[in-house]
Order: sequence, then C-alpha cells, then structure tokens
Amino acid sequence: MASSGSGYDLSAATFSPDGRIFQVEYAGKAVENAGTVIGIHAKDGVVLGVAKPLYHKMIVPTTASYKRIHTVDVHAGVATTGFLPDARVLVGRAQEEAADWQEHYGSKVPPHVLADRLGHYVHYFTLHGALRPFGASCVLGGYDVDTKECGLYMLEPNGAAYKYYGVATGKGKQVAKTELEKLNLHKQDAESSMDVATAVKNVAKILILLHKENKDSDGKPMELELSWICEASKWKHAPIPKDVLTAAKEWANEQLEEEDEDDEEEEEAMEEG
Amino acid sequence: MWGMNHHHRSSAPADPKSHTTRPIVTGASVLGVKYNGGVMLAADTLLSYGSMAKTMNASRLMEIDQTLIGASGEYSDFQAIQEMLEAKSLQMQSGLLQEREGDEPPMTARSMWNYLRVVMYHRRNKMNPLWNSVVVAGKDGATGEFFLGNVDRLGTTVEDNIMATGFGAYMGVPLLREKWRPDMDEGEARALLEDCMKVLYYRDCRAASRIQLAKVSADGVLISEPYELETSWAGSTDYIPLNTPLALP
Amino acid sequence: MFRNQYDTDVTVWSPEGRLLQVEYAMESVKQGSACVGLRSNSHCVLGALKRSVSELSWHQKKLLEIDDHMLVGIAGLTADARTLAKYMRNECLHNKYVYGTPMPPHQLMADVADKHQRTTQTYVRRPFGVGLLVASVDPLTQKPHLYQTCPSGNLYEFYASAIGARSQSARTYLEKHHETFGDASRDDLIVHALQALVGCVSGDDELTKENASIGIVGKDEKFTLLEGDALQPFLDRLELKGGDDDEEEAGDDAAAEAEPMET
Repeated sequence: MASSGSGYDLSAATFSPDGRIFQVEYAGKAVENAGTVIGIHAKDGVVLGVAKPLYHKMIVPTTASYKRIHTVDVHAGVATTGFLPDARVLVGRAQEEAADWQEHYGSKVPPHVLADRLGHYVHYFTLHGALRPFGASCVLGGYDVDTKECGLYMLEPNGAAYKYYGVATGKGKQVAKTELEKLNLHKQDAESSMDVATAVKNVAKILILLHKENKDSDGKPMELELSWICEASKWKHAPIPKDVLTAAKEWANEQLEEEDEDDEEEEEAMEEG
Repeated sequence: MWGMNHHHRSSAPADPKSHTTRPIVTGASVLGVKYNGGVMLAADTLLSYGSMAKTMNASRLMEIDQTLIGASGEYSDFQAIQEMLEAKSLQMQSGLLQEREGDEPPMTARSMWNYLRVVMYHRRNKMNPLWNSVVVAGKDGATGEFFLGNVDRLGTTVEDNIMATGFGAYMGVPLLREKWRPDMDEGEARALLEDCMKVLYYRDCRAASRIQLAKVSADGVLISEPYELETSWAGSTDYIPLNTPLALP
Repeated sequence: MFRNQYDTDVTVWSPEGRLLQVEYAMESVKQGSACVGLRSNSHCVLGALKRSVSELSWHQKKLLEIDDHMLVGIAGLTADARTLAKYMRNECLHNKYVYGTPMPPHQLMADVADKHQRTTQTYVRRPFGVGLLVASVDPLTQKPHLYQTCPSGNLYEFYASAIGARSQSARTYLEKHHETFGDASRDDLIVHALQALVGCVSGDDELTKENASIGIVGKDEKFTLLEGDALQPFLDRLELKGGDDDEEEAGDDAAAEAEPMET
C-alpha cells in the first residue's frame, strides 16, 4: 500500500494530504477479507444470505454463537460480515435502537430510520483517535409496518447506509455484484421483476458459486444461512424454512452444473471453430 | 441566582419530595385459580377515576410469551409494566446468542413473576412504587406444571392455587378457598370465578359486571372477549355472600 | 521493523485490515499451560495442567467455579482470567436474583464476548490476555455446552477443544476421537480429557495427580472438581505416555492456532 508508512494512516482522526482517512479504509479491508453477504430486495420481500465455511471439525454447527444473521426486531434483521466481534456489537446496537424507538413512539422502527441511526453510530467511530472504526459491515433488511414496504440497506465501516435493490459485501463481492446485476433487480415494475421465492434461489446460487470458485474453500464443507421477510413469514424476519432452503440449494446446484456444461460446449465449439 | 433553586429545595424539609402516594385511574379485583389442566384468571373491564366510572371496556388481562398477567390498581402503571415486559421479551428473543427450539418462550411464568418482584421491590424502596397488584399465571417450560402467583406494589410475592387482588382478597378468597379442589375441571373453574366476580360486582362499588376470562392450558393461552355477567338486584340473593345468614340472629 | 507502527495501539488497523495488538494478546493464551474441554450428550468435562512457579509453591489453580452449572478453564494471564471469572460469577448471581433461575450459558457467553470486544475498540484498556474454555449445562434444557473465548471477542462452541501451550497435540487427540464422545460415559470423558492432556506435558515432566485437574458439570450433576487422590483412579486408566497418539504431535501449532481472528 503506497500510503503505509507515511504516518497519515495511524489514526481515524487524521486526513492524508490527498483527503483520505486511511484508518477507515483499512477497517474496510477486514470486511473485504471476510465471508460474503448478499441481500436482495424483491418485489414482495427481502432476502438475506451468508455462506459459512465449516473451518473446524469439532465446532458445533447448529450453535447460535455461529450465527451470522440476527433478528433486530420482529420485522427487521441483519446479515453480518467482517471482524465478527465488531459485527456483534453492531447487531446489539441495532436492537437497542429498535427497542428505543418502540419505547418512545409505541410502533416498530421504520427500516430507513434504523439504517440511518446505525449509520450515525458507525460514523462516530471514524471521528476519534481514541476509537477505531468498525471492521464489520452488515446488510439490513426490514419491513415498514406503516407503508407496508420492505427496505434493504448496507452499513459500511465509514458509516454509509445506502439503500439497495441488491447488494453484496465481503470477500466475493465483485463476483456477486456481477451476478446480481444480471438479475435486473432495479426494474421492479416490470413484469419480469423478481419475487422472493426466486430471490432465495438466486442468493443460494451465487453463494454456492462463490464457494466453488474460491480455491481456499475447495472441498471444505459450507453451510448456507438465509433469512427473509415476506408474506410467507407474516412480514417477520425469520430463517428460511428448511424445505425451501433445500429446494433452493438443489436448484442452484442444477443451474450451476448446466451453466458449466454450456461453458464447456462453448469452449469445445470454439476449439473446433 | 444560581443557588436559588437549590436553596428552595433544601429549605423545605416539611415538604419532602414525594412520588405516587395513591392511585388515580384504577381497576378492581383480579381473581385466579389453578384447575386440572390449566390455570384461569378473571377481571372486570371497568376503569374508575375515584368513584367515577371512567371507561367500561379496558382489558386488565394480557398475554406475554404464553404467560398471563392481570393487574388491579393504577392502570397507567399496569400499562408501563406491560410495555416493560414486552420490551424484555423482545430483548430476550432477539438476544445475540439466543437459541431456542420451537416455540419455547424465553421467559417462564415463574421467572416473569420473579422479575416483577425485583422491579416492584426496587421501586418501592425508591419510595416510588408501581401501584398495582399483579397476578401472574402460566406454565413452567421445564416441568410442565402450571403456575399461579402474585406480586404486590411492595414487592411481596405469593404463590398459591387460588389468587385474588383488591377487594377480591377480602370477599373472593373465602369463597375460592371453600370451593376450590385440585381436580376441578375447566368448567367448574369458570363457574367458580364467575360466582366470585358476581359477588364482587354486588359488593365492590368499583367493580363491574362486564368481565373477561383468560386461561393457560396445554392448548396455549386464550383471553376471552369481554362479556356481561347475568346479574339481578331484584329477587336475587346472589349479592349475599355464601354462608351468610339471611336474617341477623 | 516496517509493521511496527501499526502494532502498538489497539485502536489502529493495519493496512491489511488486522488488529495486531489483539493478535499479540492471543499469543499470550499460548503461553499459559494447557487446558482441554470436551462434552458428551450429558456431561461437559474440563481438564487442565497446573503449573507451580517454584518448588515451594502450590500448583496454580486452573479451573474456576462460576456457578453450579458452569466452570471455566483458563490459559494465559491468570489475573485477567480472575477478573472475567468474577464478572461471570456476578452475572450468574444477578440472574438468579432477578429471574429466580440459573443464568443461561449462551447469554452469559455473549456478554463475556462483548466484554472482550470492548477492550479492542477503545483506547481505555488493553485486550484480555487470556482464553477461556467454559463448560456449562443449560439449566432449561439440561444439555451440556462447551464454549471457547478468545481475546479478540470471538466466541465458539465446540464438541471438544484445547487451548494453551502444546495444546495442538491435545486437539489432534480430540479430533481423532471426538465422534465417540457423544455417548461416552462421564468417567470415559474424564479419561479422554486426561489422555488429551498427556501430550501437553513438557518433555521431562509427566501428568500426575498433583499437576492435573479435572472439572465436571452434567445433566443433574452440579459442578465437581477432581484433584489429588480423587484423580488417581482415572490416571491409572491412562495409556502410558509414548503410546501411538503421541506420534501425531507433528502438526505445527502456528497453522492450527491461526484461527481465532477468522471471520
């Protein structure tokens, strides 16, 4: 890194001569090295997904200490990645913000407010030398009880909290982004727009694709953790039912195999040509 | 100038700071019995403002995580307790490492009753009590046994097969004690509670004949819609407590 | 040294997105004497290797009671562990007072992990230099759980694990046998724990009733500590040191212990 060693990158309270805050960028590196998180805002709900490698034989796979998607309030959830202890703090803060809103206004916090408040919190840690920025990022999905609409947001280590149709962060974000763009998620009015059932399948597909393409994970077992908010979940944030998840995985694997075969045919055709 | 406020406060020992010293908007008795296969509560739906009937359709029974809470006394305090428990429940459900299988509630009736004791006792020690007597009814997740308990505004806890707050503690308890059996079925429990609610309606000027019943059983929790008890002042001796001689000796 | 400028403060990220002070704190876990933990479907057992600092000193306590249903084994800075144990005991008492029931272990572990995290994000204090293995039984389900904490604030639940100096050999042993632990009896678990510990003893020393320590919690069994003479019958059941398990010690510690920062 060209800047390291310059002395302008040792504190979040220091700007570099060209106007960057390196400590925040470095914190972002912790996210870029961590597992991929994907979120899709479909026309009738939101889907969150994480792929977890089972990197240790003796770890208990069902344990909640291994959970990467958390429920913030009945109607909102976050999928986390990065330095996980930091991520847990973000989740805790999100839960506090939701409870705080409920206490004051007696209603469920709208997702955009939750994202905004969480953004403020994360941003605060980018201002002081005595604190360090969060080395974690999270994708937040929520349901607005008043407008009856869902929202999908991503929190970044710099405090940004943008709204998305589809979003990916973590190690495989480039590949995932390319895949998400193919889905035309932003054309929500079109007849071809995606429903949650299809979104679930596609999230599973992208995560499995990433796992297969990653050389480090070769052969190692991997577990998918997916959640959604939609009519089927009564507009609550809930893990995706096991049968739906199994079906999505099967579909994803079939699709990927087909695509592989197509590629091979193309290659063969090229060679023959 | 700056010291005035402080001076004013410290120079008035005869008028010490005080919090709630009496309830304002109140609900009357809550009754509860355990029966064979469950536990049942009853409360009327009247709120009184002093001796004025303020509203006739306020529920004083609530469900939280498969546990029933019923309260007499200051209704705003009960609403605060309600919110507090709901927040607590949400916090426990979405707790970071929460791992529950199925519908197992995060807090059992007994632990909620214990938690309320801590809250009530703490508030009373701060001379700022929540002015309620709360009945807690539910099921113990581990043993499957039914639970019926009470916490008052001082933080006193009681656990029993029958429970009555407010005037019910005076006029309901003797009737409940006399009629209660551990093997009574749901219908008998309901009849007993309705009888007691009638007596309270006749005798307690802050009670009403519009009531709700609620139960916790193997099927879960059910709170009835408010309904009217059949009462009659004319030609009825219902208003006379059982075992009371009709004529003075 | 080039990387030195990023490794003296906890609140500074390295250009690679690492927290070097936290990683150094994790090194101190490896300095402590070994501690192993394993569980069956009914019991959770911890084993530890006690050190004595001199001939005139007692062996240092390695297994600490937290509550009837919970104990911790420590590796690293003992004084740091004591702070954490005190905190955990307090939380357990508090839970009992407020809810009338023993503290759910997973809830406590989340709080302990967050306590670790806090030290890594503020300038106020250094990270904890200790790793904990926590053996517990969930009071509601009566199921055993084994947790492991790390100075980074990461938290894991394991079927079996080991921390501290020369713990790789114990992990190799546990990894080889862990699939049989599920239905193992309480006594078998104890023997497994001791057997795993044998490989952690330094070259010229051996596992004795003086330096070994075993702690148990289980379904309907409150915290029990086995030390001294009570341990002898179990030690007698051990395969003698030098058995075939030791040959697998080859695994290099560095690779296996690089995991705690993992995300």
